[in-house]
Amino acid sequence: MTSKSLQLRLGVTACVFALFLVVFAIPQFVSAPSNVGKIILSPLFWPYTIAGLTCLIGLLLILGWWRTVEDGVVLEEPSENRPAAIARLFGLAVIMIAMVWLLPVLGMVWTCMLAFVASAVLVQTRHPKIALICAVLVPLALYVFFAHVAGVAIPQGEFVRLP
Amino acid sequence: MKSKLIGLLGAAGIALSATAALAEYPERPINMVIPYGAGGATDISARTIAEPLGKAVGKALVMANVTGAGGATGSVTVQNAKPDGYTMLFARVGSHSVNPAMKETLPYTLDDFRFVTVYEINPVACAVAPNSGIESMDDLIAKAKEGGVTFASSGVGSLPQLASVMVLKEFGIEDPLGQVTHIPQKGGGAATTAVLNGTATFLCTNSSALASFVANGQIKPLLVTTAEPVPGFDAPTSADVGKPNLEKLVGWTGIAGPDDLPDDVAAKWGEWMAQAASDEKFVDQMTKRGSIINVMSPEDANSFIQNQYETFRALADELGMRIKG
Amino acid sequence: MSFLDSIAAGLSVVANFEAFLALFAGIIIGVIGGAIPGMSATMAVALTLPFTFSLTPITGILLLLGVYKGGIFGGSIPAILIKTPGTPASSATILDGYPLAEKGEAGRALGMALWASCTADLISNLALILFAGWLASFALNFGPPEFFALILFSLTIIAGVSGESLLRGGLSAILGLLLATIGLDLVYGTNRFTFGNPNMMGGLNFIAVLIGLFAIPEIIAMAWNPTAHIGKTRKLGAKWVTLKDYFASFKSIVRGSLIGVFMGSIPGIGAAPSAFLSYSEARRKSPNKEKFGTGEIEGVAASEAGNNGVAGATLIPLLALGVPGDVITAIILGAFMIHGLQPGPMMFVLNVDIIYGLFIGLIVSSVFLFFIGSVAIRGFKYVADVPKRILMPAVLVLCVFGVFAVNNNLFDVAVMFAMGWVGYAMMRHRIPPAPFLIAFILGPLLEDNFRQSMLMSGSDFAVLFRGPITWFFWTAAIVTVIAISRSAFASRRKIVAAVQEEQRNG
Repeated sequence: MTSKSLQLRLGVTACVFALFLVVFAIPQFVSAPSNVGKIILSPLFWPYTIAGLTCLIGLLLILGWWRTVEDGVVLEEPSENRPAAIARLFGLAVIMIAMVWLLPVLGMVWTCMLAFVASAVLVQTRHPKIALICAVLVPLALYVFFAHVAGVAIPQGEFVRLP
Repeated sequence: MKSKLIGLLGAAGIALSATAALAEYPERPINMVIPYGAGGATDISARTIAEPLGKAVGKALVMANVTGAGGATGSVTVQNAKPDGYTMLFARVGSHSVNPAMKETLPYTLDDFRFVTVYEINPVACAVAPNSGIESMDDLIAKAKEGGVTFASSGVGSLPQLASVMVLKEFGIEDPLGQVTHIPQKGGGAATTAVLNGTATFLCTNSSALASFVANGQIKPLLVTTAEPVPGFDAPTSADVGKPNLEKLVGWTGIAGPDDLPDDVAAKWGEWMAQAASDEKFVDQMTKRGSIINVMSPEDANSFIQNQYETFRALADELGMRIKG
Repeated sequence: MSFLDSIAAGLSVVANFEAFLALFAGIIIGVIGGAIPGMSATMAVALTLPFTFSLTPITGILLLLGVYKGGIFGGSIPAILIKTPGTPASSATILDGYPLAEKGEAGRALGMALWASCTADLISNLALILFAGWLASFALNFGPPEFFALILFSLTIIAGVSGESLLRGGLSAILGLLLATIGLDLVYGTNRFTFGNPNMMGGLNFIAVLIGLFAIPEIIAMAWNPTAHIGKTRKLGAKWVTLKDYFASFKSIVRGSLIGVFMGSIPGIGAAPSAFLSYSEARRKSPNKEKFGTGEIEGVAASEAGNNGVAGATLIPLLALGVPGDVITAIILGAFMIHGLQPGPMMFVLNVDIIYGLFIGLIVSSVFLFFIGSVAIRGFKYVADVPKRILMPAVLVLCVFGVFAVNNNLFDVAVMFAMGWVGYAMMRHRIPPAPFLIAFILGPLLEDNFRQSMLMSGSDFAVLFRGPITWFFWTAAIVTVIAISRSAFASRRKIVAAVQEEQRNG
């Protein structure tokens, strides 16, 4: 991906997205009462304005692409092993989804301990022992602070409750 | 480290099995959800009663503000909670009688909750800016009939919106929605500011929100909706103007749980509330803020709210104020 | 009563050990609270409130003000060290503070943040003391049309924080505007993009979006390339801020403080837009514009001056009118009322001793902040030395706890994660996150004030140009837009010329 192709990609995406908003998303998910007197007061007015602006910026980006001279400089995040990097991204996504799902079941402290270990393994830390100790201590310390100093009702889960 | 963790797990496991052996309610801290933000009327009221109430309960009360959508987000949290009495809600007039009356899209109804008490009543007052040239309700009504009058509220489906419409209707404006313009604001503070800076002509809201402005002479009260006068408010009462119907127009704060809350839990709350509300310091602080302390039993609370809801619902239906989308 | 009498009366209530101790303790609590993402200055103030009930009014209020001031500065510590703003107001500090930390100059950035904060704090307090009455009556002239014009002008900040491409900045802003429409409609109360989910009805939680947009993408980037940081010096560094740095940025600090005073004295805008406005003004006036965003110390100074300048000034509408400008001042208002004090014009007559006592305490607070802040920076420096692959999982856990604590809602944690992936996609496509944030804050304000203006005027557009304040901001907005488009065309021409030159030579 170069600076020129990035502009094209973003421009086309913006235009398609604007079209999606106007044709599908806004009529489907924004409701307006039937008795709105003036169009500028309608709840629909602002979303349509934004969709219009999206389209405008998309077109300007495409125009910019058309007029930009290709400089050939590749703008890619360096990563020596692409498939492994993609697998790690996927792994992190799984960790996050699992966290959201486990938080009400296991409680925040236990879920965070597991998530800490999982993500430390994922990024291949050079200090596995310290990571394990931190994985236990950091969520516990945060729990003590938030629950007992700040008085926040930290979710406890269905199995093991902390004092 | 590991052995410590196992020990902790073991200890917690024992605690857990003790739970199963039908312990006396409450045997752990109770989560109290406040569906409005810090510093608001509900928040201050809830945190003031938390202290004597905590003593009566004997366990800690953990206060949790869950704000959003005019109180709906917090209410839904409790609606979906386990009915074990460990998640209770500070319900408010806005979230539990105005909102259900006005919003068809609301994710809950009154039937989803079981009220254990209503402990606080707030009179409603209507006020204008002193430089507006409006001296009385009659002036306001005359002006409203001419057109160009606006009123502020803390948002769609809030008490100030419904209160203003109801007052106008009672004073003989047939079509308040058509003749007077509603300018919703974000929150109660912004609503009062809108009257101060002339964005809106008047507003009707809880007297406690207006008290300091009235004392400072920045705002002029025109009417209070209770039958008795409100201290500090030099304005006619609903009895003075002969509109007893307006007495239903009051703010309140109560405590509710999910609808299948067990009877013994509800009964316990009744006892605790009676004990907490007799605390002198609490009564003193609340009265200073312009509230009337009046602890209702679970039955009284339910019929009081139902009654207010039906009045509001009838008004909303008659004027076509229901929000459907 | 003369001015001197008033000061004497003020001294008589404030000149005791407890008052200063409360102020000192408050600042410590604030700095720590502000430094914990999600905890934020607001929550720290709310948590301290119950302790003030048993204190005398002046001691209690000084405690809260200490927490407030400390919190606004404390927010800059995680912003610089881990790219997670501790309070929303410190998100502008990230733009240059985090790159400085990456370069191994975290100490210098933190030091500058502290010095700029203290200076701005002092200026803001002086403005409160000298001009409270005048600024308050000015603030009351701000109705929806004036707000609309002001916000329209403020949106031009987007150009200042867009970085290398104005259009990509615009795209980012559009995304922010769009996500800010989620929730209930202001005027009709109908659903917009809520997908039937009650949690969406309140709109996306601001803090969840903020942390998701800045902190989580760093964690995701680490998963993409876990060894990217190796070889970079990421330490607090021996380098400390120097007086030379300070004087080089002094103009920006003063400008930022004045912007803060102005934005703070108008209720309802808050510290984050002020910090961004100050930042973009500093960038616009700077000779090395292009270095902003890559670790320019003046950027840190301007942002921190912008947000701390607000802190004293928000007390102007509070004390002079009884109108709270934001959540924090709403809580402080609650503390006044519990002690039977009613802020407003009458308070300057009835409780002169308390007003002047507060003023004296505020001036002292800037000095306290300076000392406590210096100690805090040294305490937090260990964070910069933690191995990055242990720090990132810890940041993840910290963000989960913090975001939950803001509104006690697990849904916000999911929002934070989702926004993290949006932020990462933006990062990969070189779309800057700052315009998103500004649009997310200002977009709803723009829409609401526009519709309120239309409601109050019966849909007559003339109301948007109703007085000198609106004219001023319209002119400012138009002038800025012209300046931005001219410089955009000029830089384009320069690039085209350079490329043509190259082609001719090659």
